Amino acid sequence: MSPVIEISGLRKAFRSLRQGRRVAVDGFDMRVEAGQVHGFLGPNGSGKTTTLRALLGLVRADAGEMTVLGARAPAELPRVAGRVGAIVESPQFFGNFTGYRTLRLLALAGGVPTDRVDRALELVGLRDRGDERVRGYSLGMRQRLAVASALLKDPELLILDEPANGLDPAGIREMRDLTRSLAETGVTVLVSSHILAEIQLICDHVTIISAGRRVAAGRVDDVLAGFDRHEFRVRVAEPERAAELLRAAGLPVGAYPDHLVVGGSGDPELIARTLGEQGLWVHELTPLRPDLESVFLELTGGPAHPAVPRQVDDAQAGDRVIELEATGAEDSGRVDA
Amino acid sequence: MRLVRAELERLGSRRFVQLMLVLLVLAFGVTAATTLASSHRPSAAEVQNARAEAARQIRALEQEYDRCVAARQGRVTPDEFGMDQYPTSCADLDPGRIERLPVTTDYLSGVFVFANEAKGLLYFLIAFLVLFGFLVGASYIGADLNSGGVVNLLLWRPRRLTVLAAKLGTLLGAVLVVSVAASLLYLGAFWLIAQVAGLPGTLDGDFWQALAALHARGLVLVGLAAALGFALATLGRHTAAALGTVAAYAVVWELGARLVMEIVGVRRVDQWMLSSHIGAWLTGRIELWDPALCDANGCRGMYVLTSGSALLVLGGLTGALCLAAFATFRRRDLI
Repeated sequence: MSPVIEISGLRKAFRSLRQGRRVAVDGFDMRVEAGQVHGFLGPNGSGKTTTLRALLGLVRADAGEMTVLGARAPAELPRVAGRVGAIVESPQFFGNFTGYRTLRLLALAGGVPTDRVDRALELVGLRDRGDERVRGYSLGMRQRLAVASALLKDPELLILDEPANGLDPAGIREMRDLTRSLAETGVTVLVSSHILAEIQLICDHVTIISAGRRVAAGRVDDVLAGFDRHEFRVRVAEPERAAELLRAAGLPVGAYPDHLVVGGSGDPELIARTLGEQGLWVHELTPLRPDLESVFLELTGGPAHPAVPRQVDDAQAGDRVIELEATGAEDSGRVDA
Repeated sequence: MRLVRAELERLGSRRFVQLMLVLLVLAFGVTAATTLASSHRPSAAEVQNARAEAARQIRALEQEYDRCVAARQGRVTPDEFGMDQYPTSCADLDPGRIERLPVTTDYLSGVFVFANEAKGLLYFLIAFLVLFGFLVGASYIGADLNSGGVVNLLLWRPRRLTVLAAKLGTLLGAVLVVSVAASLLYLGAFWLIAQVAGLPGTLDGDFWQALAALHARGLVLVGLAAALGFALATLGRHTAAALGTVAAYAVVWELGARLVMEIVGVRRVDQWMLSSHIGAWLTGRIELWDPALCDANGCRGMYVLTSGSALLVLGGLTGALCLAAFATFRRRDLI
């Protein structure tokens, strides 16, 4: 099956008189299959928005191949534009227009029946505010309007760049539910975000970009599994003695003020038995699963130093590249570290 | 076509466009109201007196011509009429050859005469519409580029040249329709004022033909101004870029460069100024004077700019800027 989005070797550099040449994306690859809810993660300035803009024909790539719904981008985009809904980085609207008029004009320009406007406003929770001028909208409401504009087309592919920007917690949850419900109807969703927990909750696949290069890609579970150190958090009454016993059993132990982190075994029974045989009863034995945040920070460089805020260009791409490619019906994890 | 409809609605919904239309109506209203208030329908006696005055002035012209001819033919003594007070050729004083003889309406005080005032009114209207076209053209695309509206549109219609061409076409069409409608309303209102509180004057075929020609040239100028504002704002990505360019041109070129060229003795300085070509286009031709054209043998120092050459300059410049705007927009990164 051909992918809905395929990017290969994308390269883009921006030039300015003051800053000279700055490489935004450098040999980036991405593949999004039909029906996926695909997360696109990366630190600020890592090239996410540039990639999406290049994909949508808004910036000219210096090199690379891109296809969207089988059409080469940007040359053949007009052929499939009606099937792709997209918002890119907090779109702006004329403050003087109402939300309804904004969508109506887009629908008119795009040849979409204008009676879809009400439904799109309803979907994003702006039904009762559609007659108000956009100037009076909050940032979150503008973001919803942007999503509504993408939904107007009834798209097969939805590209959302930071859709949760400016939304309050309730709004983020609504956006999550909306994304899920769209995915359930078969819409392929590519969502870029830096809210990692959000991506973990709604996405089944993920691509992580850092300093313009892909540093991980694949099913979310597989990417996380690649970073699973098989560690357990252990709470016992006598942690110092417990640590000695576990070390004696050949298990690496990290001691923290109120708990131990035991690695190496991946076998909770071995830990419980080692301690139990010496009369130490385990209060807690929890597997420590990596989350996207820890994976993301590890792949993209993380804070350089606790006292020194990490700079935009600090991320070291290429230090470690995780690729978990889908092959056939089942995703088989392949780790190139 | 759908794109043009959407753009037309977008253009019509712009607050700035609406504001400019209100200003246009206000300017009309104020001009019409003051004209109406300061004009009256002349009484028979006023007309009689004016007619007599016009006849007197024509007679005076004829007498002056006769004196000139007599002086040149030596039929009068030099001390009676000084030869040097007449031009070399008396033809310049021939009443039959001067452009316009005095008419009755010239001597009616406080009476609005449409035939006398229409041209001036139309010049004022054209000036306003040129400003309207330029500002609307610049702000229409400038605000769209600056606000991300163009990006939104390109996500729906990813054909850059089509989108920009639709915008320019819509702009020119809308500005021309507004201009024609405004001209008809404007001149119609003053014609009506002349009917009820003034005099229409001599509205013959020549009058209407001249007025229509001026109007047509004015419309072309309005279109060029709109396209110029659009092109400059597209190139500069902002409405202010267009306004700044025009302000900079006026100060740097029309004032500064003119001064420098005059100091270094460049000939025909005025022909390098767009303002001269605008004047030549609107009036059909302008005669300009440059003393640098004269040598020891003397000359009148006059040269002419015609409407044809003016259109070439104004149209060529606007066309080149539009082409540059399209070429730039086609390749530009929209970030």
